[in-house]
Amino acid sequence: MTEPNFTVEVFQNEYLPAGGRDVNAIVTVAAPDAGLGAAGGAPADGGRAEIIIVDCSGSMDYPHAKIVQARAATAAAIDVIADGVAFAVIAGTEVARPVFPMDGRMAVADAATRETAKSAVALLRPSGGTAMGMWLQLARQMFGASAASLRHAILLTDGKNEHEPPDHLTAAIADCEGVFSCDCRGVGTDWQVAELRRISTGLLGTVDIVADPAGLAADFESMMQAAMGKQVADVALRVWTPQHAELRFVKQVAPSVVDMTGRRAQSGPQAGDYPTGAWANGESRDYHVCVQVTSAAIGQEMLAARVSLVAGADVLGQGLVRAIWTDDEALSTRINPNVAHYTGQAELAQVIQDGLEARKTGDEELATAKLGRAVALAAQSGNEDTAKLLAKVVDVVDAATGTVRLKRKVEQADEMALDTRSTKTVRTRA
Amino acid sequence: MPACPAGHDSSATDFCDVCGMRIGGVAASPASPASAAVQAAPARAVPAEPCPQCGTERTGQFCEGCGFDFRSGTPASAAAQPGTTTALDPASAAATGSGQATAPASSPAAGHGPAWTAVVTADRGYYDRVIAAGGPDASSIEFPAYCPERRFPLSGQEMRVGRRSVSRGLEPEIDLSGPPADPGVSHLHAVLVAQPGGGWSLLDPGSSNGTQVNGVDIQTGVAVALQPGDQICMGAWTVLTIQA
Repeated sequence: MTEPNFTVEVFQNEYLPAGGRDVNAIVTVAAPDAGLGAAGGAPADGGRAEIIIVDCSGSMDYPHAKIVQARAATAAAIDVIADGVAFAVIAGTEVARPVFPMDGRMAVADAATRETAKSAVALLRPSGGTAMGMWLQLARQMFGASAASLRHAILLTDGKNEHEPPDHLTAAIADCEGVFSCDCRGVGTDWQVAELRRISTGLLGTVDIVADPAGLAADFESMMQAAMGKQVADVALRVWTPQHAELRFVKQVAPSVVDMTGRRAQSGPQAGDYPTGAWANGESRDYHVCVQVTSAAIGQEMLAARVSLVAGADVLGQGLVRAIWTDDEALSTRINPNVAHYTGQAELAQVIQDGLEARKTGDEELATAKLGRAVALAAQSGNEDTAKLLAKVVDVVDAATGTVRLKRKVEQADEMALDTRSTKTVRTRA
Repeated sequence: MPACPAGHDSSATDFCDVCGMRIGGVAASPASPASAAVQAAPARAVPAEPCPQCGTERTGQFCEGCGFDFRSGTPASAAAQPGTTTALDPASAAATGSGQATAPASSPAAGHGPAWTAVVTADRGYYDRVIAAGGPDASSIEFPAYCPERRFPLSGQEMRVGRRSVSRGLEPEIDLSGPPADPGVSHLHAVLVAQPGGGWSLLDPGSSNGTQVNGVDIQTGVAVALQPGDQICMGAWTVLTIQA
């Protein structure tokens, strides 16, 4: 099968000083603007499956607007599901219950099934607990029975996973990896960012806060639209490294920071695959690859990493990360602007999470230092969205130097928004 | 089979499959984008800003050359100008506090009239009123079992009233950190400002819980002239009585 080519660009300073071993590169991967579906085997009818998981625990009734908006949002998302797509709705409590279709199989979307599904959703009433592991397991079973290749779920919750042992959720996430992708949304402020982030990173999805239930419908609609735009499933980043080299880390750095190092699946004697999920036409993501190679003589050139995009047996694109040893210090001491930029963005995400943690434990000095550093990094890199979120948690005295004061009173929703969105990055190139 | 310089068998023709070394002169790819992308400096480094007053490169909030405040845009000398004791802007009162306290002793307040003293006590009647009014933490605050009277002679241009804070570098002249500590007193709660021609006025620059003079709440940021015998109430039980 001929796949349209993904473009893979490598940004690095390939020059190393004598004895130098660390090679850093930013790899920008972009799917072609059009034609992915046509040549890549467009998901035929039934090639796509969607499950919406709605938290129906008792707390969804407090305030009542949560369940009202959750029902409306689910209906809005159902309206976006294209004809021919397999879909289902699950109500989550301390157990998981198929709401539509009620027999636990998946329906094929058309005007009639969408209407029936929406009337079933309108009858959802909150009562019971929260056991997200059970919800994910039911979704896994339902997806497992489907032949679709593009499998995606939306999970909405308003609370903590407190009605099952914690390891059930951990096991469920592991079981679901590779089966489907999952975007998670927390409504209100009683849910835990770390918990949903664990699900969304494991299942290659996004996580975000919807503090005001009124914003749910628009968010669900756009998530479902994004899901409908995905064309190629199960794309992996394959990284080959030379003998005796150590792959220090592989991180997605745009559109958000996700450390993928631990997701490696060995695919050859010197190569590993890192799952990236599904791609839409024109989608672009950046990865930071850091390899430690054995050094070679001045003037020698080595391939430090061969980075390719693979879907099944097809290679969709490839980029080369190189190392050239030189005694010209003007060359070897250069810092590639892209590497510098994304190193800063990854640090930004880390210092925000560290700062918020310190703030929670009452270590005000550490929190001030970390969040001050975050303000400076956000300002330097032009990450305005993150800068705005930071300004709700600290009073910025001077952004350039990162001089801040912790705010006395911080809205819980603002703190959680900063936490969940701390990993969002901006690109440096025009 | 392409020849790797180290003798490995490689099916790739550009770089060796095993050790990654370039295989004899074969160009890997036309003009790698990498070399074009290498630049000397990070793209979005903040450009150094020269001081508008003396031209020294900026390194922080204040100019190293002349002390110009980049944040507020005020020259260093402006903050030290005297003569604004009434209706002070609370922020500038707080910011310039230490500067004025160390002003030369030729200030108009010094040497005019008798010296004033602030006597700090824990006042049961005031405490009862505060608790009766109820507040978010009212039930958890207890009246101190033992609180010796503390006397602070008023001197200089300014006396700050509050609780010492090491982390903020704040050492108020009238330090109420105790023990016993009144949890309702802010770190910088109020400022006593010497009046030209003698006497003192009181300014609350924006304390969390406010300040009363003789039982009346005073407005934030507006200096109130004091008379001997006035009672300044703050926090849950702290009363400063002014004696001449």
